[in-house]
Amino acid sequence: MIKPLSAAPSTRSPRRHLLDRLATGLIVAGGIGVILAVLAIGAFLAIEVVPALFSGALSQAQITLSLSPLAWGTLKAAFWALVFAVPMALGAAIHSSVYMSPRLRSRVKPTLELMEALPGVVIGFVAGLVLAPWVERHLTGAFALLLVMPLGILMAGGVWRLMSPALRQRLPLAWAGLWLVPWLGMLGLASLELAPWLEAWLFAGDLRGWLDTELGIDYASRNALIVGLAMGFAVMPSVYALAEDALSGVPSSLGEGAQAMGATRWQTLWKVVLPAAAPGVFAAVMIGAGRAVGETMIVLMVSGNAAVMSLSPLEGMRSMAAGIAIELPEAVPGSDSYQLLILAALLLFLFTFLVNTLAEVVRSRLRRRYRRLGDVS
Amino acid sequence: MSLAAVTGFRTWQPRGEGPWAWLAAGSVALSLLLLAGLLTLIAVRGLGHFWPASVSLVELDDGQVFAGRAVRELPLPAADGAGGARERLYFTGNRDLDGHVWQWVAVARITASELPRELVVLERSRHGDFIGRLVEVVTAGQQGTSVGEGGRGGGDGGGTATWTTLQERLSAVDALRAERDELQQRVIPPLVRRLENDPGDRATQRRLAETNERIRGLQESMQTDAAVLESVDGRRIVLTLDEVLRSWRPNAMSLPEKLGAWGRGVGRFLSEGPRAANTAGGVWPAIFGTVLMVMLMSLLVAPFGVLAAVYLNEVAHQGRLTNWVRIAVRNLAGVPSIVYGVFGLGVFVYGIGGSIDEWFFSDELPSPTFGTGGLLWASLTLALLTLPVVIVATEEGLVRIPDHQREGALALGATRLEMLTRVVLPMAVPAMLTGMILAVARAAGEVAPLMLVGVAKLAPQVPMDGEFPFLHLERKFMHLGYHVYDTAFHGDDIQAAMPVVYATALLLVLVVVVLNLTAIFLRHYVRARHGALSRH
Repeated sequence: MIKPLSAAPSTRSPRRHLLDRLATGLIVAGGIGVILAVLAIGAFLAIEVVPALFSGALSQAQITLSLSPLAWGTLKAAFWALVFAVPMALGAAIHSSVYMSPRLRSRVKPTLELMEALPGVVIGFVAGLVLAPWVERHLTGAFALLLVMPLGILMAGGVWRLMSPALRQRLPLAWAGLWLVPWLGMLGLASLELAPWLEAWLFAGDLRGWLDTELGIDYASRNALIVGLAMGFAVMPSVYALAEDALSGVPSSLGEGAQAMGATRWQTLWKVVLPAAAPGVFAAVMIGAGRAVGETMIVLMVSGNAAVMSLSPLEGMRSMAAGIAIELPEAVPGSDSYQLLILAALLLFLFTFLVNTLAEVVRSRLRRRYRRLGDVS
Repeated sequence: MSLAAVTGFRTWQPRGEGPWAWLAAGSVALSLLLLAGLLTLIAVRGLGHFWPASVSLVELDDGQVFAGRAVRELPLPAADGAGGARERLYFTGNRDLDGHVWQWVAVARITASELPRELVVLERSRHGDFIGRLVEVVTAGQQGTSVGEGGRGGGDGGGTATWTTLQERLSAVDALRAERDELQQRVIPPLVRRLENDPGDRATQRRLAETNERIRGLQESMQTDAAVLESVDGRRIVLTLDEVLRSWRPNAMSLPEKLGAWGRGVGRFLSEGPRAANTAGGVWPAIFGTVLMVMLMSLLVAPFGVLAAVYLNEVAHQGRLTNWVRIAVRNLAGVPSIVYGVFGLGVFVYGIGGSIDEWFFSDELPSPTFGTGGLLWASLTLALLTLPVVIVATEEGLVRIPDHQREGALALGATRLEMLTRVVLPMAVPAMLTGMILAVARAAGEVAPLMLVGVAKLAPQVPMDGEFPFLHLERKFMHLGYHVYDTAFHGDDIQAAMPVVYATALLLVLVVVVLNLTAIFLRHYVRARHGALSRH
């Protein structure tokens, strides 16, 4: 920051000086006011709830009874979202920071940013009203897809090694993110075509009945797996963006050293780049977790909102955010249920705020470390 | 030797990267595939809704005949192994005759399916669509004289004359309807207000009575004509023409005609209000509500966001405390939006709104004026929600401005205010714009906090009209995102609502995507420009 000279030069008229003083005062007052207003959120939630907690208006049993299913639902939804989002996001980040051609990368990054901006209500609508009934009808097909996609990618890698060098140059690994798309699309369609035969052969034509009788699993149409898929889709781009930043921020001299000694790019990444960037990748996952915990509309529309506590990924749940959205407009201010919901909001706030702060601290440390590593080389 | 070395270099293969590299590449491909799939689905379904699809006349093996639009086809849950049997869903309309509008039919049972040109589809103000045949048009003057037997006389131009008459009559009715709406919306309200102020004003009273008489007259002349219609299985109904909103003969339309009808359908969707419990009609009030709310929010968030960023970056002492505040503000961008909604409900609606009601609108209590969700509280809540976005983006822009620009301005004798307004802020404009656009995009797509602070399922009055004070901040409003949620999850007939939901979702996605693309290009521009600057 640069300070203007405190001693006013003779050219400065008193009016300009006064105006400057006034404006500075206004900026200071306005800035502090805005920042306080923004920070007031935490204070408001605490003021509403803490007295009730200490005066005993909210008993321990009441809190446990009404909040634990919601907390469980929140964690379950977030967990499954991360199960889908983290591998995809980290895979994509690794690919685009190490292998992808710069031209493709400059296109793919904004595209995934757009994916992050898709409104939750649209994703929730498609997942809840289109995907969930579809998966219910094509259960085998959906499970087959989960299995076929990774196998298909590996198959593509295997076939690629057997191809002629000319063809391999046409389809380089640097552009694999693009030319694998039609291949995966074809595989997906093929596996959907074959799924009924598979179902007839393995599960006597009725996977749902088989799950029920053989494993005792009850399949709910709106379940944690669908929530995880939809929310994973929503969370994945933000994890990707942060992880990609961390990976491509590693000073290139580190990786170059490893490659000069004969390591493949994957070995370089796994042994050198990833350990250096690990805190940043961790921070990315944390921020993803924060988003998954707080996402409201997707859970509201896809999870079925039944407050059940079960481990099964094929059953629904109700999350804190969805509970607040449904119940708070009807709750009478000051009543027990109102205060419980505010408590839920406070918990959400604290959780996300702490997670984000942790991630932010980790990231700023990491940035300093990169600068040091870059200097040494 | 050198040639061999070159060819050796050419054919030299790097060691394989192993399976993990491919899995990583695959996850890029998979996420692109998912994104493309989602966008295609929404675009195709959302735009397909307006296409005047053909109506087929279906005959079943038991002799039952019905007319309908094929919607989709599914494999039958086969009891005896995979038989490959399929069933098809038809939209048959005629809710008043049949009591239902959908019909599932096993494909195997269909003995004949054709596309007769004379089938008409009428969009009605009550009971939804009618699908069937037009028999005759009865007009007031020529009672009973049919203008041309349409029926199943068949042939190439089956009932064309009747159809033309119907179209003429309908456009006449449309003109009358437009006149009536004009009178009701533009002429009546000012008269009513003048009467409220001065109940004894004779001239106004007379004019009001005249206008009401005129409206009644228009209403009557709209109801003089009627169409006699027949469903394909021979049941007749008589429909006065003021109930018919639109009519078309999908099987007789050529491709350009269909395209034209499609365009007009899109136009109506954007400009009309919803009908039939939000499952039909357009989304104009929702568009208006979304845009108005976002604009109000921008008015609030732009000055305050920039002010806070300028304070943090240019004025405040850059110590540990400022750094902590900066991190906290940044983290607030990651706090779930529903928490902001809770804050808005507790502080704005119940706190400030409740107090305003007690002080200024106490004669209206206990029914709340500002003490319930409304436009103002929604914009304030969203402004708070998007403040961190604007602050962070503006600060990024300010940081990128090299210090020597500021030093130069100060060295030439500028005060801090002059340095800020003439040098620093103009350079940071693209960054501020980026922040604003990102904020608007986020606010446009955000639904969860609005559910707590003022969105409505159906708000017939838009929050802006010709009545003082023109902008009604306390009114509830409709929102595109909430429209998607509510129509999709709280309707009676989800099947019928789906096309509207798809179209609304498409509109919302388009708005958000366009805004984000603008932000991305702007940011690119900022980076390029300041990259060039800092090299000086």
